[in-house]
Amino acid sequence: MLTKLQAKVFFLGGTAVFFGIFLVLSFDTHLKVPNQTNAANITPAVAAGKRIWEENNCMGCHTLFGEGAYYAPELTKTVEIRGKDWLKVFLKDPEAMFPGQRKMVKYNFTEEQIDNTIAFLDWCGKVDLNGFPAKPPLRDKMMAAAPQMAVSSGPAPLKKPVPAVFTTGTCIGCHQIQGQGGAAGALIGAPPLDDVFRRYDRAKLEAWIKDPPSIKKDTKMPKLYGLAVNDAQLNEIVDYLLSLNPETAAATPSAVAPPAAPAPAVQPK
Amino acid sequence: MKFQSQKIAYWFFASAMLLLVLQIVYGFIMGFARIGMDGLHEWIPFNTARAVHTNLLVVWLLLGFMGSAYFIIPEESDRELMWPKLAWVQLISFLIVGVVAVIGYHLNYWEGRKFLEIPRALDYLVVVNVLAFIANIGFTIWNGKRYTTTSIVLFFGLFTAALLYLPGMIDFDNQTLDSFYRWWVVHLWVEGVWELIMGALLCYLLIKLTGVDREVVEKWLYVIVGFTFLSGILGTGHHYYYIGAPKYWLMIGGIFSALEPLAFLGMAIYALAMAKKGGRRHPNKTALNWTLGSAIMSFVGAGFLGFAHTLPQVNMYTHGTLVTAMHGHMAFWGAYAMINLAMIAYALPILTGRKLWDNAASSYGFWLSNIGMVGMTGALAVAGITQVNLERRMGLDFLAVQTEIEIHFVGMILAACLFFLGICFYLYNFWRFGLPTDEAASSDVRAAEELPTVS
Repeated sequence: MLTKLQAKVFFLGGTAVFFGIFLVLSFDTHLKVPNQTNAANITPAVAAGKRIWEENNCMGCHTLFGEGAYYAPELTKTVEIRGKDWLKVFLKDPEAMFPGQRKMVKYNFTEEQIDNTIAFLDWCGKVDLNGFPAKPPLRDKMMAAAPQMAVSSGPAPLKKPVPAVFTTGTCIGCHQIQGQGGAAGALIGAPPLDDVFRRYDRAKLEAWIKDPPSIKKDTKMPKLYGLAVNDAQLNEIVDYLLSLNPETAAATPSAVAPPAAPAPAVQPK
Repeated sequence: MKFQSQKIAYWFFASAMLLLVLQIVYGFIMGFARIGMDGLHEWIPFNTARAVHTNLLVVWLLLGFMGSAYFIIPEESDRELMWPKLAWVQLISFLIVGVVAVIGYHLNYWEGRKFLEIPRALDYLVVVNVLAFIANIGFTIWNGKRYTTTSIVLFFGLFTAALLYLPGMIDFDNQTLDSFYRWWVVHLWVEGVWELIMGALLCYLLIKLTGVDREVVEKWLYVIVGFTFLSGILGTGHHYYYIGAPKYWLMIGGIFSALEPLAFLGMAIYALAMAKKGGRRHPNKTALNWTLGSAIMSFVGAGFLGFAHTLPQVNMYTHGTLVTAMHGHMAFWGAYAMINLAMIAYALPILTGRKLWDNAASSYGFWLSNIGMVGMTGALAVAGITQVNLERRMGLDFLAVQTEIEIHFVGMILAACLFFLGICFYLYNFWRFGLPTDEAASSDVRAAEELPTVS
């Protein structure tokens, strides 16, 4: 039978051996992490962003690398999903982007602080996390099983370069247009905008952007008019969306950019 | 109570109970926020409530451990505490640091690193405080009339817990390294040295409550804490799967953390075997319930539920979801909250000289709180598994999924009410014991407490 001394030796010996192995592995990890995390890209802005991340306890609601609380979204890939412009507008007034939903503190960050925070999250998104977060394995199966979206009749929308206002106005943070953006929007039902001219006229499109709930009461679309979109930009957006209609474009060729413009390189998703 | 200086333990326990109540209040704030009732958002946003909830847990458990040490060490060493006044200073200053930190969290003053939110300036005060505690306990043992395995293991656990606080204070610009060393503190505490403390408290309680021979109980203590370290140290790897550390941690963390439940299983079997061997002759049935309950619930919560999502293939999808919160609740309750409540239930009659061992309130306290905790864990499990399937496996949007699982938090709040009711019964009993007395040292409580040894 085991004696007390043997039990003691098992405890002390086992602890020493395994703690030794742990130290050796930790040392190795410490040497390898800079390479795996692109530590060379940790600019002063990234480091400052990390401090902002800590000083406001972002981890108290969000997760990063899957670590934190579970009250708000995982942010490791947020720059890739939403885009920097969307995040810039969002960080100025988080609740404006998600009206009536779960709240986030409005931190009144300066422009520089916002840029640093985004720089930090951008760096995080490029760290090699051994495959985390995994691509949802069932998504493709679900998509295949779902009935195909009703295809609208009529000729296909034109292909034209997307103006910058769609990025700065944060539209492509949710909506896909000309094959760009839309990574986050597909999940919440934000439709692609290429053929939106079939559903809405100028007045309706303007109303959508100015006050989304006036068109659809329970919409998740934030009111970005006044926040990220001014009057001139609003006109530019609506003009562009309507210009994708091949019929009106053919009828009034002088009113819009020539339809013969070369098609932009569509990024396959 | 044999020594006057043991009385200080009462005040550690009482402070711990106060913080436990506050911890539960902040838990309710979070529960209600999750079902959309976030009216307190302006003053107590979720990240504040969350930091207060987890930090108060750590602080009250530490206060419980310290109180337990101040109660056990004089008796095990057969002498008065080295510096009773220092223990008082240490208690009060520890509470002040805790209160300042909690107030700071409401004013956006913190360090924002999960579980280690205490701002750096206060970190140093914690270190000084814990050094005073370790010195007080250490010199009492050193100058004691006898050295027991229980007191040595307890001291070793407390000492390494203090030592392991330090890696969490190193600054890094690299989030991966920051996280890597943060787990040295958090993981090696709760799945390492705290288990040592828990094992020592369990061992002490089993010796006292079952009357089984000390040599036998302590021998198995070594075996169990041996298994704890054998699996737990390299088990740290399960936090390193997906944070930017090398891939070999997937294998090492997977294998060794899969062994972690064995230590807890061993602990449960050990406690039940000793109780059976010794029979249940001790009049303080409540303390025995909590002791055995702790051994069993820690196996279920920390061992079994931890294993449920520790393998890398599973953890890829559960990492960063409510599944972690599910495991966390029962693990901390079973392993650390219950052992503290067991220690308090055991020590109170001895400290105060009142024989309120068994009564309806203490039974309700035990059963309601445990049933409530099982219910809370169940609600979190359903919410967590649904979240994993909808968000991580099907790819639905985070907020859309949160709306789907809101209803489970109604269930969680109901279970939490039951849990809180149980804690109220426990506290009612605590209050009925009254304050510790000098006469308790000579009262017949101690006589009733001495059991003939079973070998």
